[in-house]
Amino acid sequence: MSADASDLSLVRRVQRGDKGAFDALVLKYQHKLVKLVMRYVRNPAEAEDIAQEAFIKAYRALPQFRGDSAFYTWLYRIAINTAKNAVVSRDRSPIEYDLDRNNEESYDMQGRLKDSETPEGLVLTDEIRSTVNAAIDALPEDLRTAIVLRELEGLSYEEIAAAMACPVGTVRSRIFRAREAIDRRLREVFEGGLGRAEELG
Amino acid sequence: MNEELDSQLSAMFDDELAPGECELLARRLSRDEQLKARWGRYAVIGGAIRSERGVRLNAPLAGLVSAVILAEPALATAHGARRAGVRWWQPVAAAAVAAGVAAVSVLWLRAQAPLAAAPLSARLTAPTATVPAAAVVPAAAAGAPDSYVVPRTPAVRATVVVPSTELANYVVAHSVFSSPVTRRNLLSAFMTGESGTAAEEPRDDAQGNVQ
Repeated sequence: MSADASDLSLVRRVQRGDKGAFDALVLKYQHKLVKLVMRYVRNPAEAEDIAQEAFIKAYRALPQFRGDSAFYTWLYRIAINTAKNAVVSRDRSPIEYDLDRNNEESYDMQGRLKDSETPEGLVLTDEIRSTVNAAIDALPEDLRTAIVLRELEGLSYEEIAAAMACPVGTVRSRIFRAREAIDRRLREVFEGGLGRAEELG
Repeated sequence: MNEELDSQLSAMFDDELAPGECELLARRLSRDEQLKARWGRYAVIGGAIRSERGVRLNAPLAGLVSAVILAEPALATAHGARRAGVRWWQPVAAAAVAAGVAAVSVLWLRAQAPLAAAPLSARLTAPTATVPAAAVVPAAAAGAPDSYVVPRTPAVRATVVVPSTELANYVVAHSVFSSPVTRRNLLSAFMTGESGTAAEEPRDDAQGNVQ
């Protein structure tokens, strides 16, 4: 197993002219990238614009990407530079948001900013979030622990296996089953009005 | 949908799938819209669990990026065209480098020629040294003024053999840059020349012995 193998296989496909593979990379990293750019700009809409620009720059620069670093590390640098340039060109001072989960005040401020900018987006996002949380609560303990350790703590399968005292294959199966259970609930939300096409572009 | 395929997709999303399987699944993922939608929802689940505040989980970002990229040429085509655009100067540069190397080699060989000839003539004079020695020693013993006798036979042979040495040096130096076929032809020619010279040498020696 090699880290970043999945990203690299998608990147190689894009480099060979397969544009569809780049969609998968955008889908995977769009939220992370917007969250990253939010450290530099005030509102989510602007962060999305900058993230979009960063993705397009990354696509155009992909022929030069040799895989010396992880794809996300490379993308991260492009996004940071794009955000800084955007801030400079608009003659603004960068605002560093503290995204530490312990800092509730920071979260509240961002929530208020988001409310004022895109209320519809917030409603939809809140509905998605509550659906996911409800689905997680309904999961059996072993599945819930596995998915939370993976998504929230960022542990590898091997680390989760050590923490849960089970084989790596069991971890893989538990995470998959947890995702499937959450995805079933999520599909109901998307198909019930939010629109999968809007969500996934 | 195939459960094993979805399980692989989940592992691939976490970078926990073997590279070989990743290759196959990446190909399918780029074409299968249903699989891609599932992949996107996995990202949404992760974002929701991490409570990425300030981030719209339903933002149409992927669709906007995809629309821009669709309007652009595919990377393989664009990159190929860019490479073709700069390719014209590559043969010119290669020819210039080759010419430079050849010029340096010729100059170097010219500078090295006298040095290369010296040991060869010394080696070649050794077998015939008895002939001039016999002529010089009696003159020194007689207390005659210093005189220098240049042996005729070695000098003649040196002028015959030295070009072969130069040729050998040139072939060795040139073999670094030449193709194997050309090198073999040059070496063959050189060996033929050398064998011709070698065939002549016994005759010269024989002549020397006769003298």
